[in-house]
Amino acid sequence: MLLSAPAIDIDQPFVNGILGVVAFTLVMTVGVMYATWYERKIVARMQYRLGPTRTGPFGLLQPIADTFKLLTKEDLRPATADFVAFELAVFMIFIPALMVFVAVPFTADWLISPIPLSLLYILAVSGLSFIGFLLAGWGSDSKYALLGGMRAAAQLISYEVPLILALIGAVMVTASVDVYQMILYQDTVPLIVWQPLGFVIFLIASIAEVERPPFDIPTGESEVAGGVFIEYSGIRWSMFQLSSYVNMYAFALLGAFVFLGGWEWPFGTEVGWGLQLLLTVVKMSLFIVFYLWVRASFPRLRPDQLMSYAWKVLIPFSLAQIFFNGFIIVYDLPDIAYLITSGLLTAGLAYSAVFIVRRGEPRKPLQMVPVRATARRPEPAPAAEGAAS
Amino acid sequence: MVAEHERSLEVVDIPINMGPQHPSTHGVFRMVLMVDGEKCVDVIPHIGYMHRGGEKLMEAMDFRQGIGYCDRTEYLAQFSAELAYVMAVERLMDVQVPERAEYIRVILTELNRLSSHFMFMGAFGIDAGVFGTSFTYAFPQREYLQELFEEVSGDRLMYAYFRVGGLAWEVTDNFVQRCHEVLKHTQQGIRDLDELLTKNEIFIARCQGIGVFTAEQAIANGLSGPMLRASGVPWDLRKDEPYSVYDRFNFEVPVGNYGDVYDRYLVRLEEMRQSVSIVEQALEQLPAEGPIVAEKLPRRLRTPPGEVYSKVEAPRGEWGVYLVSKGGDKPYRLKMRSPSFSNLSALREMCLDQFLADAVMILGSMDIVLCCVDR
Amino acid sequence: MIGIMKSMALVMKVALTRKPVTIQYPEVHREIPNRDRAFPILIWDEEHDEPFCTGCHACERACPVECMTVVMKDNPKHAAGESKRRKIIDEFWIDYGRCMRCNICVEVCNFEAIGMNNTWAGHELSRYDRKDLVLDVQMLLSQSKAGKVDPGLRA
Repeated sequence: MLLSAPAIDIDQPFVNGILGVVAFTLVMTVGVMYATWYERKIVARMQYRLGPTRTGPFGLLQPIADTFKLLTKEDLRPATADFVAFELAVFMIFIPALMVFVAVPFTADWLISPIPLSLLYILAVSGLSFIGFLLAGWGSDSKYALLGGMRAAAQLISYEVPLILALIGAVMVTASVDVYQMILYQDTVPLIVWQPLGFVIFLIASIAEVERPPFDIPTGESEVAGGVFIEYSGIRWSMFQLSSYVNMYAFALLGAFVFLGGWEWPFGTEVGWGLQLLLTVVKMSLFIVFYLWVRASFPRLRPDQLMSYAWKVLIPFSLAQIFFNGFIIVYDLPDIAYLITSGLLTAGLAYSAVFIVRRGEPRKPLQMVPVRATARRPEPAPAAEGAAS
Repeated sequence: MVAEHERSLEVVDIPINMGPQHPSTHGVFRMVLMVDGEKCVDVIPHIGYMHRGGEKLMEAMDFRQGIGYCDRTEYLAQFSAELAYVMAVERLMDVQVPERAEYIRVILTELNRLSSHFMFMGAFGIDAGVFGTSFTYAFPQREYLQELFEEVSGDRLMYAYFRVGGLAWEVTDNFVQRCHEVLKHTQQGIRDLDELLTKNEIFIARCQGIGVFTAEQAIANGLSGPMLRASGVPWDLRKDEPYSVYDRFNFEVPVGNYGDVYDRYLVRLEEMRQSVSIVEQALEQLPAEGPIVAEKLPRRLRTPPGEVYSKVEAPRGEWGVYLVSKGGDKPYRLKMRSPSFSNLSALREMCLDQFLADAVMILGSMDIVLCCVDR
Repeated sequence: MIGIMKSMALVMKVALTRKPVTIQYPEVHREIPNRDRAFPILIWDEEHDEPFCTGCHACERACPVECMTVVMKDNPKHAAGESKRRKIIDEFWIDYGRCMRCNICVEVCNFEAIGMNNTWAGHELSRYDRKDLVLDVQMLLSQSKAGKVDPGLRA
């Protein structure tokens, strides 16, 4: 059952859709430009420094200055690059990231297109972006780009699985695949209470999907070069960066809606759109601050450690979660059973981090070899001062 | 048919060039890694980008002019380099350094060890991928130390403060109090870095079991300093062949067990704490007044003919100065035994069969400084 | 997991409770200590209205990088009986691009005529051309003549 009306109410649904998309794209473009601003400011604060301060008050014109700089850069393309793959890669990453927002309800009434299976649509579309990485890696005709592209594709595919499994756990609890219905389900208690494990796995997997540190193998390392984007310059490179931020917004919104209750909790749908929008923004900001916080705190994982973490730790735990959820649904146990099983599994996941580190017996601490003083400072004789010892 | 396909495909090792300009600041060092998939099969280091002919230049400088050049040969542990040089000349000329000068030398050298290890912590965090947080936690502490050194010697990086027979000039009046202030800040900084990195599971996963070097391999390759101690060899020049007044302090020398990158990090972290303890003891024992230069030193320093090798425990290892003099006021031949050069020669053996991402960590854990490698 | 949480807690504590250490140069200049060794300058003798420097070449010989050129002349004020210095400095060039700020010239000077500039003017010396870094005697005396500098270490 659909409660909402589309965002802009003109009679023609097709024109509705187009206007909604255009309006949304413009807002989003400015939004991600300013995402770079507050990322730099917040991460700087975590590091004893100020972010941009000189371009405009509080550095607010910095993203605009960056955009101008990138627009006026020389547009290079390697001579041996595969033309179609090289050009198409940028769009293959940018467009799916934006397409996700078509199905996302910002408030109870603001929705570009009400889709009955919106969660399925969102996950399917956001999973398309790895093709762009492969195209960029192949089309750049550079061995660093190729290796980076392969790694990026492997990472993205690997972390899709725990992401989807965690969300399937949430779907099982709310009995609906529509993000709108899932938000409405959470009118008294947000889903994080019933599925803490799903929340934690979603958090970790979404950092990997967005390719932020500590999972930023494609963009950070790759033989100390730029990775997949090494041959792109100017506006194309900035489109890659912005698509990374758009993805970050997308997953933050998804997490805010599915696990934190979106605009429904705690006030319900009776309040006006202002408060609902504020709640959405606040919950999304919590996720984004968490992403920035994690970026400033952790080293990067090695690619093989990253893969083994996804396949050996996250997937078994999320499968266990689905098994227990099914058990609870079939035997019609009370809701508190969700909390118990999921809480235990979360504790198990936290403990598993120990096993990654400590393979075998615990590490011996450093030996400290003591050195004792064998001489003393000679007392200065009253007649002579500070002479030889 | 599969066999035919396999014969037509050729498998080659890819050379990956980590050129003279690095994102992780170790200086101008070039490393060519031959990579088979993800494993390194060969490492070819190229050095010499910073060679300035230091040893030859110092043959034209007398024993006061050369001290400024020693700073530039090891620009992160300057006082250790200066100390080795003036100790060599003092040993040749048989000069007794007064007590107060010795104590101030030790205090400044240990504070310099702290600032060098802070630099290591910052740069190592960046190698691991922490995006600058460890760097900005370590560098304010280095800044406090550099401000103290500027108050005493006049310069923030190239101190040129030691002289043959003692120090160049007297320290400031509030030296002891300023040292205590600086030590408070550094202890806070050590705690911060400890909390940020040491128990972080991702950091441990990156560092544990990487670049393992046994004690026999370490001795065979001529390593020294924290790299040798992390491999399990309890050799520290301040303990085994004490120079200056190091035989008057109680401290501990950290020795590792496994010889991997994590042990080297832990050894350096612990050494910072021990340096703080040595400085506190030295500040207590410091004579309140006394001469700072040996008495009756001639204006032009002439050494008798002879040769001497003097060594100190620099933050990177054993820094040695081999001085050959034929009389006169300039050395005939001066060789500086630099720890980074010897440590770097073990890079190939350490990096074989390691992942590519680990090669960066291993290079970072060696804590090389290119001015020392190239002189 | 505990280690990761502690790192994150520390980072958030720094973000929320500790102040940034940035100094907004060039609006704010840090205090330089008295002994700071920026670059050498010549000292002006207020009483006799001439430089202290007599051009004795002691600093030129002692300089490790040979960055100074010194020419002396007979002091006209000595002939007129106003000053005790028989010789006075005629030309003096220091190449700041070669100077390594080791303080040896200050130590060997017999007349305390040269000192290290310990103000910000000694540090803010950017030029577009390397030959503009060679300063002659008037430029070297200008800071001391204007009374702006009291060098620290003199011995």
